[in-house]
Amino acid sequence: MENSSEKSKRGFIGWFKQKWDSEPLFSTAIALLIMIVLQTLVLGFDYDSFGEWFQAWLNNWINILRNNAATGIIALGMTLVIMTGGIDLAVGSTLVAIGAMLMMLIDAGTKGILAGFGLTGAPAFIVAIIIVLIFGYLLGAANGLLVTLGRIPPFIATLGTMMVFRSVTQHFMQGYNPTVPVDFLQLASFRIGDFMIMPIIYWAIIAIILHYVSKRTTFGRQIIAVGSNEKAAKLSGVNVNKVKFHVYALMGLLVAFASTIQVSRIGAMDFANAGRGLEMDAIAAAVVGGTSMMGGRGSIVGTVFGMLIIAVMNNLLNLFGVPPFLRDAFKGFIVIAAVLLQRKERI
Amino acid sequence: MAVTLSFNKSMEVMALKVEMKNIYKSFGSNHVLKDVSISVEGGEIVALLGENGAGKSTLMNILGGVVEKDAGTILLDGKEVEFATPAQSQDAGIAFIHQELNLINDLPIFQNMFLGREIKTKWGLLDLERMIHETEEMFKKMNVDLDPRTMVRELDASYKQIVEICRAMMMNASIIIMDEPTSSLTEQEIERVFQMMLTMKEHGVGIIFISHKLNEVMRVCQRYLVLRDGKLVAEGDIKDVTTRDLARFMVGHDVRTEPLIREKRVGDEVLRVEGLSFQNAFRNVNFSVRAGEIVGVTGLLGDGRSELFQTIFGIFRPTAGKIFINGKETEVKSPEHALQLGIGYLPANRKENGIIKDMNIIENASIATWPKFSRWGIIDSKRHEELFDGQRKSLKIKMEKITDSINSLSGGNQQKVILARWLSAGPKLLILDNPTQGVDVGAKEDIYDIIMKLAQENIAIIVLSGEAQEIIRVCDRAIVMYHGVIQGEISGKTMTEQNIMTLATGGQLN
Repeated sequence: MENSSEKSKRGFIGWFKQKWDSEPLFSTAIALLIMIVLQTLVLGFDYDSFGEWFQAWLNNWINILRNNAATGIIALGMTLVIMTGGIDLAVGSTLVAIGAMLMMLIDAGTKGILAGFGLTGAPAFIVAIIIVLIFGYLLGAANGLLVTLGRIPPFIATLGTMMVFRSVTQHFMQGYNPTVPVDFLQLASFRIGDFMIMPIIYWAIIAIILHYVSKRTTFGRQIIAVGSNEKAAKLSGVNVNKVKFHVYALMGLLVAFASTIQVSRIGAMDFANAGRGLEMDAIAAAVVGGTSMMGGRGSIVGTVFGMLIIAVMNNLLNLFGVPPFLRDAFKGFIVIAAVLLQRKERI
Repeated sequence: MAVTLSFNKSMEVMALKVEMKNIYKSFGSNHVLKDVSISVEGGEIVALLGENGAGKSTLMNILGGVVEKDAGTILLDGKEVEFATPAQSQDAGIAFIHQELNLINDLPIFQNMFLGREIKTKWGLLDLERMIHETEEMFKKMNVDLDPRTMVRELDASYKQIVEICRAMMMNASIIIMDEPTSSLTEQEIERVFQMMLTMKEHGVGIIFISHKLNEVMRVCQRYLVLRDGKLVAEGDIKDVTTRDLARFMVGHDVRTEPLIREKRVGDEVLRVEGLSFQNAFRNVNFSVRAGEIVGVTGLLGDGRSELFQTIFGIFRPTAGKIFINGKETEVKSPEHALQLGIGYLPANRKENGIIKDMNIIENASIATWPKFSRWGIIDSKRHEELFDGQRKSLKIKMEKITDSINSLSGGNQQKVILARWLSAGPKLLILDNPTQGVDVGAKEDIYDIIMKLAQENIAIIVLSGEAQEIIRVCDRAIVMYHGVIQGEISGKTMTEQNIMTLATGGQLN
């Protein structure tokens, strides 16, 4: 005969187990919760008042979110690409190409392209951002064409563009040393109260939009169909090529957002090295968040969680003084662990 | 481990007599073989005949060590043997050439010949020269004109068959089981394979020839064995029978059920096809279908009927001929286009082609109509749910929540969901490819009722099926295909299983 406390424990454990097994996001959320708790503990409680502690805690989180917003946005796009059964290795190089274009347009030093048209200041920034978004879309579309019309496997196609975009950018930027106008830097450091949060807001808005798109629109559902069973999707009247093209083009657009954020935060870009490994970070976030590399399974919310888990972990490793080279080892460990834990849920 | 091939120089194979006695086999409650006894000897070619599901493959899989029998004995030259694995069957001298050939395209012929039994040098490396040499010797004895160094990828289907046969010979096979060896071959290629088989017969090899093509059976076999519903119902010498007899043995029983009765109301022509061809799959096909008709298209393996309707649905582009939709000549560019033209297509093999396993029931049911019932790209879930609710009742789908995974349903109910997918699109022409594949008896009847009802609503329905019984029950008329051409069209009184079988095996009706 169980006593009531044992029964209630079983009830909770039972509920917990059932949720863990049936909803993939649940385990990811739990993992994130653990990370948040760890982060809070590490932050310590050595503050004079609750208010002060809260301020520090909040500040810590805003820093984490802001530092990872750009990668987070790219991870969202990567989620959709992977869900169609594809991959985009070119995001880092695309970031660099777009960053170069942006800086050339608004260059404060030797007069940017737009200045030549008499555009400076805020109007110039707006025009530059629009141009750059279109440019990003086109670069993504190039990948999309290679994958659909060219029928080149996405891994190969984006491997190719990854090499082309960066090398062409570096070549054209030789001899140029553009600087970002101070006003532009304000874009990212726009403050609400004491907090610089624009990148976070962009990430949140994009995540909400993409979440809605993936759940409620024809395009979003067709992404899942194409990734899960391309043949059946085609036989059900889905225009598979159109779906694939659009996820790659969308990816390019999102990279443009991320690149703009980076340029406005840092004010410079090292074309040789910026963005290297970005694709791996994006993929890691998606995978930890429950996206399947086989296609068909994944979620925007999951990727946000995955991104945060990795971000917090990085932060913790930093705080604990883990040797820098070993930090990536932890990242790799988490990715593998995430996949192992997710595997059992599927039929 | 070094393997030395015992190569029989004189090419006289040890003649072997294989007997299978009182074999029983069930898969769950499905009794596939009931007290089957057969025997095969070296030096003869025996035909193993039967409809799909009669038990031929299972019987051969038992002989080949792929599947275990429930009861009965296997005797080799009078001695009882057990085959627990394919390797044991091979070691005993029985070679099984499956329908899907087991050759590696990316390796040359001689490496394929020794796959798994490679000859190695003293040092453990592959002895390529010896393998090439032994392959050449084999080809010489069998009068085969092939360079062992050729990549298998470059061979046409008949030569691939021949390579498989030679590989069987290399393993000193005394009995070779050939499963539908000619289903995708041209006349010329078939001739080549037959020559090979006769050569082997002369060398004392026994061949079990599984085929649906009765005229070929008459050409090359000496004896026949006919399975029906898991029992051996007929055997004898080929010289004593005709293809019509064989067809009758295969089909045998009385028509179990009456054709379903309905009041036919036929409308305008919905689909017409003239001179339609696609590569090797089908040639010069002509027929038409009108609203409210239920037309069956049937045939045996390799008839081309699936490819024909996939072409009509826009999956393939025809290499010749015209398609007329509602009287207008049309080029169907893609399945998406076909959908817009009012054509629906329920594919065969729903697991590969129909079911999207990562989506739930309602999504699988509404995917074809997302674009149609959406505003600004946003799916109108409510409308889809209402629509599906109605379909759930009319199709009698047994399920729990619409958000459950589609994998939670039984085969029959999954099929109904896919059917619902197409019905929502409101097609004027509905093509159903093997609609009751893997569906239990109850759901089968439901699906037949649904087909009847749809026809009453003036939809033109085409049912592709390999089961003659099904065609007779449900369809107004039957188009029978053989090897890519329409062999005949029958309806009313002439639509009998026997006639269908005769046409399907390349025969003619008087």
